[in-house]
Parts: sequence; C-alpha cells; structure tokens
Amino acid sequence: MFGNSDYVSLQWLSAIGLSLLISLSVRAETIEVLTYEESPFAVKVGKTHQGLLVDMLKEMFSRTSLDYKLRFIPLKRAIVTTERMPGHCVLPVARSQEREAHFHWISPVLVSRYGLFSRSNQTIPLTSLSDAKPYKIGSFLGSGIGEYLTDLGYDVELASVSAQNLRKLKRARIELWAAELVSAQEQMQKQAINFGVPELIFYTSLRAMACNKDMPREHTLALENALKSMYRDGYMSRLYLEYGVKI
Amino acid sequence: MSDIRQNKLFTLLLLSIAWLSLDVHALFDPQLKSAEYWVTNEFQPSTLTQAEQMQEMNWFVEASKPYFGLQIRVVSERIATHGYEASVLAKAFFEITGIHVVHELTGEDDVINKLSAQIFTQQNLYDAYINDSDLIGTHFRSNAVLPLSDFMKNEGAVVTLPTLDLNDFIGLKFTTGPDGKLYQLPDQQFANLYWYRHDWFNREDFKQRFKLRYGYELGVPQNWQAYEDIAEFFSDDVKEIDGKRIYGHMDYAKTDPSLGWRMSDAWLSMAGVGDKGLPNGLPVDEWGIRVEHCRPVGASVERGGALNGPASVYAVDKFIYWLHRFAPEESIELNFTQAGEWPGKGLIAQQIFWYTAFVADLTKPGLPVMNPDGTPKWRVAPSPVGKYWQDGMKSGYQDTGAWTLLKNTPLERQQAAWLYAQFVVSKTVSLKKTLVGLTPIRLSDIESDVMTQRAPYLGGLVEFYRSRGRDVWTPTGTNVPDYPGLANFWWHYISQIIEGKVTVQKGMDNFAAAVDKKLKQIGERADMKCAPKLNPISKREFWLKAPGAPKREISATQVGKTLSYEEAINVWK
Repeated sequence: MFGNSDYVSLQWLSAIGLSLLISLSVRAETIEVLTYEESPFAVKVGKTHQGLLVDMLKEMFSRTSLDYKLRFIPLKRAIVTTERMPGHCVLPVARSQEREAHFHWISPVLVSRYGLFSRSNQTIPLTSLSDAKPYKIGSFLGSGIGEYLTDLGYDVELASVSAQNLRKLKRARIELWAAELVSAQEQMQKQAINFGVPELIFYTSLRAMACNKDMPREHTLALENALKSMYRDGYMSRLYLEYGVKI
Repeated sequence: MSDIRQNKLFTLLLLSIAWLSLDVHALFDPQLKSAEYWVTNEFQPSTLTQAEQMQEMNWFVEASKPYFGLQIRVVSERIATHGYEASVLAKAFFEITGIHVVHELTGEDDVINKLSAQIFTQQNLYDAYINDSDLIGTHFRSNAVLPLSDFMKNEGAVVTLPTLDLNDFIGLKFTTGPDGKLYQLPDQQFANLYWYRHDWFNREDFKQRFKLRYGYELGVPQNWQAYEDIAEFFSDDVKEIDGKRIYGHMDYAKTDPSLGWRMSDAWLSMAGVGDKGLPNGLPVDEWGIRVEHCRPVGASVERGGALNGPASVYAVDKFIYWLHRFAPEESIELNFTQAGEWPGKGLIAQQIFWYTAFVADLTKPGLPVMNPDGTPKWRVAPSPVGKYWQDGMKSGYQDTGAWTLLKNTPLERQQAAWLYAQFVVSKTVSLKKTLVGLTPIRLSDIESDVMTQRAPYLGGLVEFYRSRGRDVWTPTGTNVPDYPGLANFWWHYISQIIEGKVTVQKGMDNFAAAVDKKLKQIGERADMKCAPKLNPISKREFWLKAPGAPKREISATQVGKTLSYEEAINVWK
C-alpha cells in the first residue's frame, strides 16, 4: 500500500512527466469504468449520469488524457467483470485484504464520514460511541455501518431502505440514526426534514477504484497522480462542499 | 539509616502537601474533580500512589488548556486494549482535559489504508494512528511520519509528559529507526509463544510412555525435533483422553491474509533462516532479506538473501508436514481467528505458534482448559527452534501497536493527539489497562506486585515478560521498506505451495523473485532514505558457501531436547 503512495514531490513530478508522455501513446484506448447506483454518488437521470463520483471521474480522467466510458451494473457483477476483463475498473469498492492482490488500486476515490443523528428536539450528548449503547440506532439492510455497529454490540434496527430511517427518527421509533453524511444531507433535503448536525461523527470509510490487474502501469500511475493532484489542489474539498460536507 | 528515614518522611510530607493542595483545588476545578473521580474509581491499581496519580493528572489538566473544546480523531485496530481506550479512557480524557477524542476501532489493514490515504491525499483524515511496529522500516523511510524524538524536543516539548519515562517502555527499540530516532510510542504489546497443556505433560503415565518411546523426558520442547516427537506422541500414541480425540499439534492454512502473518511473523527466524544479531538478524533478517548499510539488497539466494534458501524450504516444509500429519483435519481450512478458538476446546496438547493476545480468551472460567480455582491448565513458554537456529539469533515474534503521528497533521491537532496518546500509556493508567487487555508495555507494570499476584492465573505470560525473552522476541525489522506492499506476498505465495500448485522450493523461488522485483521498484525512488539497491545476480553456490545466511543445507536431523517448565522459562532469565 505504501508502494502506491509517494511521499516526496520530486518523484511525484517525475511520475507526472512520465504519465504525460505515456498518455500520448494510450489516448486511443478507452477504459470501461463500472459503477452502480448509489445516490448522491452515482445516479442515472434519463440518459445522463450525475453525482459526486461522476463529477470526480470526469475531472480525474480529464487530467490524464485517458478516455473512459461509464457503465452502471450491479456491484458484484462489476467486481467479477473487472477482475476478469482487461481494460475495466470498478468503483466505489472497499479495499479489503482479500481483494488487495486481485486488482490495481486507485485510492481513495471516496472518503465517507458516518454520524449519529438525533431528533431536532432531542439532544443526546455523545462523548464517545459507547455513549450510544443505551439507544436504539437506525440503519438499513446491507449497510456496512449497520453491520459495524451490530458487531460492536449496539442495538441496531435495520430498515429495508435508508430513507425510512428519517421517518422513524422523526416519529421516535429509533433514537439515533447512523448515516453517511453526504447521503444524509441529500435525504434530509429530499424529505424536507432537518436533524441538523450529527451528535457524533464516529467512523470514516475509504473506498477505492479497483482496476484489472493487467491494466498497464502507466495508466494506473496516470490516474493515481491525477487523483493525488485533485486532493492536493483543493478540487476534492470543493467537490465535497458542493454536496454539503467537509472531507 | 536515620537520614534515609528523615528523607522518606520529608518526601511523604511534600507529597501530602501536594495532595492536599490538589484536593482543595479540586473542589473548585471541575476537571481536577473529574480526575479525582477517575483516579479513585477506575485507574486502580496503579504503580503510582494516588497522590502521584493526581499530580500526573494535574499536569494533563494544565497542559491541555490551549486545546480545550477541540475534537480530535484517532484510529486503531479492534482488540480489547483499544476497546478499553475507546470506550473508557477517551471519555476520562475528555472529562479531565476538555479534549474530545473520537477513538475509532477497525481492522489493522484498514488502519494502514487510512494512514496511507492521509499521506497520499494530504487531507487530515485522523490526528493519530495506532499501528503495528512492523511498519518501522516503512515509516523511517517515508519522510511522512513525525519522528517523536524530534517532536518531544521541539514543537511537542510543552505537551510532553514529564513523567512519561520512556526508558520504562519495553518495546521502544522496536519503534526506533536505524537513524536512532523514535517514530512511534508503544501502546500495547504481545508475543508469539509456545503453548501447551501443562497438566497433560505432567501426567506420570504419559511421562513414562514418552520416555520409553523417545528416550528423553516429556517436557517443554527446545527444538523442532522434540516438538515433532511430542506431536507424534499425542496424535498417534495417546490419541484419546477421556474418550475424546486429541491432537499433538494445531495450526491453520486457509488461503487468507492471516496465512501471511503465520509465516511473516518470524516463522523463518525460528527455523534459523536469518543471521545472528538482534533484533532481526544482520545482514540477513527473518524475512530472508539481506541488508548492506541499511539498504536492502535482495531476498533471493542469488542476490545474497535467504528467502528461497534451504533453511526457508525446511521451515515451510515442516509447517506443511506437521499440519497434515498431526493437526486436526479441519485445520487446513481454518484462518487465524477460527484456529484461535481451538486450544480452548481442550483437545490440543501443544501449539508451536500461539499469540499471547489470546490469553484473555483462554483464561475464561469454565473452559475445559481452566482449573476450578481460576488457574489455567496450560502454560506458555519460549518457542522451540529449528535446526538452522544458533545462539544469538532472533527466537520469535513480538509486536507493539504504537502511536504514530503524521507530519501533515496540523500542529495544534498533533499536540492534542500527543496528549491523548501519553494519557493512555501514562503510569496513572497503564497498569489498569494492562490488567484489562493483557498487553503490557511498561517494565514498572510487569514488575509490580499486582502482576506477581496475577501471574499464576496468566499461564506464564508474566514470567515471559519478566525474562530476557522480551528482547529476543521481536517484530519485523527495518529491512522491510514497504511492509503493507510486501506483507501481501506472503500469503499469496505460501498458499500456492499449500494448495499443491508448486513445490516448496519452486514456490519460495517465485516468492523471492517477486520480493526482489518489488525491492527494485521501491529502490527507484532515488530520494528515499536507505532505499533498496539490489545486488547483482550470482550463482547460488557463491552465497551458500559464504559464512552466515543464506545457509547451506543441513541434512542431519536434530536430537530432541526438552526441559521442565521451570528450566524452560529460566533459559531467558
């Protein structure tokens, strides 16, 4: 992992130089990027694609001269396809040890913070996550954060979809709502409910873009350097702010 | 004598005055009042007197004033020690200092991913990380990790605890780079030791049968031959105890990242792959990597390394042979966590590779491996060594999870995080934390009367930490320049051997070639400190004939040797 991260600008600059040179020779190839619907990160609106990750991808590739095509398919299929088919990448994916050796990684493409929201008329002061032990926490089926809290012994009630939790919290059927901050902003806006800022931001997750192992090193290096420059010149911070959160 | 007595009285008087003044102050200062509450109700026992604890807490109250109201984020792996920190100590720290700490728990791999991401993005994702000292070779080369020894003298001086007492930390050398700088502060520590059923080994009938068959006493094995004989004795000869099938060996081999730790956590050094010299072997370490003037020059025998040498092949061979021959059938399909439950079932006679992080789990009342009086039926002892091992070599694995600050964290947040880091390892807190998580870091705790009283209930853990073994069992060393990148190779290449896709020799050849390639890649960063620079390829014979590692094949077998438990733990006194 450290092998992918350079610490010193000198090497970074030489890598950018290299990737620019190489980009001339790879321009004709198109990378097929696979993603799945997860609002507000990647959504299909008619024939257009929108969302934080869609914006991020557009900027990242524009800094490399590589071409790409974005396609929506379910996550599991996207991962299998990427593993088997050269020229493919999938995002956003959790970078686990089990997956580590099977892909080239461009990371992090998504920094997600998770918070615990309470009702607007009820403050639950939380010094640490363990202060939430006595309370019923809402999450949704298939959510990684719900699983995390359950594993740690919290009283988690899972809804079938995330949006139900807002109504449950409003009606006091749960006392805290565990949610990713960008999604929470969007859902509160959609449902015209405002729970304000979370009582506690308790977890951060990083997700990556996994690319087929046979992808030329020059391509992954170019993408990696583009992503790095987006963080370092403030593009990513501005992008997250557009979606209502700080990185 | 009377002078000494007078001095003692004077010191006592001063401490009493200090205590009284703190006590009066505490009436008005809510933070000191909180400190008094925590010292009295939670941070007991301690190696400090209550008055000394309050003095230490008073320092925290004063030093943290500029950061009152600040919220910081730290992240560590999910083990009992860190669970205690996240749920109890972070709360105490907040009430005492006004600094709000969100202490996140996650997998060790995720901790490393996050640390790497902060370096890559230059975003302040966390203010401090607790990560394994296995990464010391990565950290000191990275130029991204704050050398704590520099920090404590400069920007961190005002927030460095006067009673931190660095010399009291037993793992400090594991977190110090070849440049002599301290990069990480130990927070918890554990070792990998030999585990066995002391009660079975002491049964007269078993002792007689073993002696009759093997010609020496049943006891703590000192070498791999004795381990193998004992494994055979219990698996084949004893076979059943109280009507239950028992086994002379336990291990795991599922194709999974934890198979990598099984090997990279010093298995090769136990076989004797590396050179003499602590902590890791010089010039060839326990990963089989040769280093010259701090630069890794190769892992393959062809470049002077030992990763595919005869000793490494012997180490992997034995691992596979014992697994198939003596361990429960299921063990090949188990990973680290699943296998960890097995010794507690009461069916295993011995396990050569056992993490002391499991002590708390294996001392739970009611387990088949526990006596009714709360003492365990098992013991841990120094691990046996293979036929290539010689005196002066590393003998096993130990690691410390340690506080790591990154240079790109804003200074104010580094300082607040450093306060929290010192709080959770302070003498006020550390003995209590040690009793909760059984991952000792301070010599003063290990040598305390409290630990003497606990020792009979911990199966030899205290005895190990009181011995010189704590210096001879060491983590991955500074030769490994990219631990996260290279650690993955272990399970990838070893699993191919276990799955029978390649022979042991071929698998280790592939592995060594891959490590060489990666070292070359890393070495291309010209500006890196102690960057790898590969030796040219030579004939294997050239290096095998040279003194030290890589070592020529030893065809002779070892003669089994055992010691009584008392003798075995005294070896490292």
